[in-house]
Amino acid sequence: MAGSALRRLMAEYKQLTLNPPEGIIAGPINEENFFEWEALITGPEGTCFEGGVFPAKLIFPPDYPLSPPKMQFTCEMFHPNIYADGRVCISILHAPGDDPMGYESSAERWSPVQSVEKILLSVISMLAEPNDESGANVDAAKMWREDRIAFNRIAERIVRSTLGLPPP
Amino acid sequence: MSKKQLSAVFVKMGDKVPTTKYDPNVNQDELIMKQQRLIEKEIMDSIPLVGDKEDFSSLEGEYDGDDIYKQKVKNLAKNYKYIRRTRPDGNCFFRAFSYAYLEKLIDDREEFNRFRELAAKSKENLVALGFPQFTVEDFHDTFMEVIDQVGKHHSVLSPGAPAGEDLHKVFNDQGNSDYVVVYLRLITSGQLQRDSSFYQHFIEGARSVEDFCHQEVEPMYKESDHIHIIALSTALGVGVRVRYMDRGDSAEVIAHDFPEGSLPQVHLLYRPGHYDILYPH
Repeated sequence: MAGSALRRLMAEYKQLTLNPPEGIIAGPINEENFFEWEALITGPEGTCFEGGVFPAKLIFPPDYPLSPPKMQFTCEMFHPNIYADGRVCISILHAPGDDPMGYESSAERWSPVQSVEKILLSVISMLAEPNDESGANVDAAKMWREDRIAFNRIAERIVRSTLGLPPP
Repeated sequence: MSKKQLSAVFVKMGDKVPTTKYDPNVNQDELIMKQQRLIEKEIMDSIPLVGDKEDFSSLEGEYDGDDIYKQKVKNLAKNYKYIRRTRPDGNCFFRAFSYAYLEKLIDDREEFNRFRELAAKSKENLVALGFPQFTVEDFHDTFMEVIDQVGKHHSVLSPGAPAGEDLHKVFNDQGNSDYVVVYLRLITSGQLQRDSSFYQHFIEGARSVEDFCHQEVEPMYKESDHIHIIALSTALGVGVRVRYMDRGDSAEVIAHDFPEGSLPQVHLLYRPGHYDILYPH
């Protein structure tokens, strides 16, 4: 089981290295262990996260790609769909029926034909367009809805800190 | 058996289910999912993906004191000699179907050649439908390897080569076995989408065929219904006879052939939520 997972992860790594999608770098932290990856995600242009480079960790189960990986940002994040501890909460990281947040039934779900690349692209769209219905971070969801200026200010501070810059 | 039914069974047995007091700070959904995993693990540890051939009469013992079922088993025994059980993990239809069919191909070279050609072409058809080439290829490669392992026995000189044993080994290797299931799910999804105007009528509610495929066909562990069986048997041109054994009054066990009017090459026994393989006399 882990054999097919390893083969698949190696192939995905190769693919991501040869044809990296814009704004994404991802690969195993240590080539001895293909089941733990690090990803760097660039904040999408024209959003409050523009310019930031956000590190995250991906942990793959032994039966990947039958089951999805888990993903967690390792930097500070403030976003309606990211838990305070950095765990990412989007539908593509869950198989249908596997539903901690009660996602819309039409939302994109995990299936074995999805890939790391698809996940990371979904995360970029999530950064650009938070879903304030699924509140992994209720405070962030509320602020996103009610006080966008304050939300943007926090985002800017986080963006600067990912670049090693002091708060504005 | 569906996961829901299983949870019910296990809860009733009061077995291995941790009793926890309600704690509002704990995400209840996550707890339920954790319990689900536990149940799945129990099944994994106790039931092989595909079991050995058993005498059909072994089924009778399961229904001591249940006259309706006992009578049905007796009636079925007139038609079937053996049964082979599969693990109830939501993939049982796909696993039972592919095992039974490939086992048949061991002795049918002509049918094997037809099927191999169709299987080889199937990847391009999926990619043409918009499935991502990169990930489809992963499953297709394994699928073809498993098929070719069956074909290998056609060219082997010693006719006594235990092809069946090889197949059994492949299907009880979780990696290979699950990849075959995934690929059949993709073929099923492809067929549904290709002929969506027909299959739309079978889908309840406002779901589109595409959504149905993403939610009920492509993901692993999702159980199969008539619509899956019709689509897969049509896509592969392989007739399936399913014997439906439920609590209905009739002592006969109803047979359904998919696609309708086809000559059955594979026989399956359906009991609510689960499929096993049948071998006719």
